[in-house]
Amino acid sequence: MRRFLADALPHVILALFSALILLPLLWILRVSLTDKLTAYKIPPEIGTLGLMNYVDIFADKPFVLWFANSLIVALLATAIALPVATAMAYAFARFNTGGAFLRLGVLASQMLPPIILLLPLFGMFLLAGLMQSRTAIVIAHLTFALPFLAFMLVAFFEGDVQRLEEAARVDGATRWQAFRLIAVPAAAPGILAAGLLGFILSWNEFLFALVLSGPDSQTLPVGLAALETHAGVEIAPLAAATVLSLLPVFALLPYLRRHLIKGLSLGALK
Amino acid sequence: MIRHLLMGTVLAGWMASSAAAETVNILMEGVPDTEYVKTLLPDFKAKTGIDVNLEVVNYAEMHTKLVPQLVAPKGSYSAIVVDFYWVGEFTKAGWLSPLDERITADKIDTSVYVPKLMDLVGKVDGVTYMLPFYNYAMGLLYRKDLLEDAKSKSDFKAANGIDLAPPKTWDEYLKQVAFFTKDGMHGVVNQGLRPDPIAMEWSNYLFANGDEYHDEAWKPTFNNEKGAAALDQYATNVNKYGPVGSASFSFDEAFNVMAQGKAYSYITYNFFRAAIDDPAKSSVVGKVEIMPVPGPNPETGASLNGAWGWAIPKSSPNPDAAWTFIKWVESHETAKKRALQGGSPTRTDIFDDPEVNAKYPYAQALKKMLLTSHNFPVFTYTPQLVEVLGRELSLAVAGEKKSADALATVETEFIELAKKDGKLK
Repeated sequence: MRRFLADALPHVILALFSALILLPLLWILRVSLTDKLTAYKIPPEIGTLGLMNYVDIFADKPFVLWFANSLIVALLATAIALPVATAMAYAFARFNTGGAFLRLGVLASQMLPPIILLLPLFGMFLLAGLMQSRTAIVIAHLTFALPFLAFMLVAFFEGDVQRLEEAARVDGATRWQAFRLIAVPAAAPGILAAGLLGFILSWNEFLFALVLSGPDSQTLPVGLAALETHAGVEIAPLAAATVLSLLPVFALLPYLRRHLIKGLSLGALK
Repeated sequence: MIRHLLMGTVLAGWMASSAAAETVNILMEGVPDTEYVKTLLPDFKAKTGIDVNLEVVNYAEMHTKLVPQLVAPKGSYSAIVVDFYWVGEFTKAGWLSPLDERITADKIDTSVYVPKLMDLVGKVDGVTYMLPFYNYAMGLLYRKDLLEDAKSKSDFKAANGIDLAPPKTWDEYLKQVAFFTKDGMHGVVNQGLRPDPIAMEWSNYLFANGDEYHDEAWKPTFNNEKGAAALDQYATNVNKYGPVGSASFSFDEAFNVMAQGKAYSYITYNFFRAAIDDPAKSSVVGKVEIMPVPGPNPETGASLNGAWGWAIPKSSPNPDAAWTFIKWVESHETAKKRALQGGSPTRTDIFDDPEVNAKYPYAQALKKMLLTSHNFPVFTYTPQLVEVLGRELSLAVAGEKKSADALATVETEFIELAKKDGKLK
């Protein structure tokens, strides 16, 4: 009996913690399948479930546009940030480019409140005629994605990978070949993990997207926020849109978990 | 994965948005009236050939998005909608174009608007900067079915010596609130969240006690016995006659208590009158009616006014097209179509229209509510005043400050703000 309890206790604790995470998500799922009246009933009622809110967000609200904009912006921001950040991180790790000052500078840019960057960016985009375009949002997202990814990737190019590269150089590889054929593949799990995190950061970003977007370039976070109106929260369509907006992140989750863990525990010389 | 990312790069070739020959861009909030305008846009396109892009964002973030656009020499928005909160700030900063010349040239009759609305979101110091778009004046939602109940009628008469009917005075209403708080029912539900919901709702209590915020010279007039009584009544309603938690309810939570049939009354924005008859949002369809918030006597209303106005910012890239749009959307024909869909009119001729009255029998009650409504102080520091009010009213409701002390603090800070704005010497 005591052994059974000892075995069961960790599961009970884990189940409770899992419920803590899962119950709000299940609540959102339930609300997405019901109407506002039922959603707010106390004590809670299941009511009649249906897909009317999903129909509503596709038929009456520009959900597809919001989703497409978010996807394009997040993919582009990641696609641009990742190679540049990889090269930056490599330069920091191998050549100590800019010394401690530049590394600190990159880190410090992460500590700036985004609003500090927003107004200068707004002025520049206005002059360049880029206001209300997806291009403006992608460039704005690079201001946080690039330093974040570079800082994250430095660790992957330091340590044992360096010895592999040195071995390749001894065998006659050029610096470029050592970078392309040895360092990048060795750090690939880390680069992928960084890319996935960069994608999620951009996917969820609100402030830049709010101020810089226009009717054709609104992203999901901006569109979803508009469902909280002066006349009340459109809780049921909001829940439906939230469920759908979680899908890409859920789709990326298995990759993220696998590569992040692999990336963190990677050791080429083990 | 990298291949997928690259495919995404190719997929996104169509980055910058293409602009039509003439497009009116407008930043709006996602409220029912915005949706009604949206449904009518094909009419405007057919008449003028001008496209309209309505950009809808969250109210709380609108100001953040608007200000950089208004400061810029040439922004992205042809026209904007302005909440009465921002009127003082936007006009003092010189961000809005005066409309008087356009109004005269096109012979637009602004006398059709409810005068209080023109004062709120129309004219500032004699210059017309806006045309009122929709109103969100506050009214009293009450359960008419409970007032018709025979036993309630006799019990109320026995207890109070007066008939149970839609309240003619504030005092009568407070008696009804106390009377209906029984058997799991609440006499009232309040939106006590600070700062905006409580400040807006309490303003009705202030007017209902016969007070105003300031006199014509902007000298504060609320720190007196009537003001303190209004705050005591509010605290009693929240703490004694309202549901648990209403001190932190916003209008959404409060509306849902009313919509679930758990409260007799709720002072709120009049557009909730239509929502309470929506079966997807309410279980008391057909049982609720709206009326002006009763005042100290039967002739005086105590509703707080509220509205949005159309304006053309000085940074507008195409002000002429923006004016063409505003003329169309505020024409009798379009305003009536919006009202027939459920919109909140600002023109008296729309309230008097037979079709509107046939479809919405409470249209006359709404008109009366607007005509007898009271305005919140409109000056550069309106949002700051709301913050101060929210803080002090909440402290009084929580029992951490006496009503008189809370109002004294509000008065001190109101004087500072009014002096800073040049309203008070």
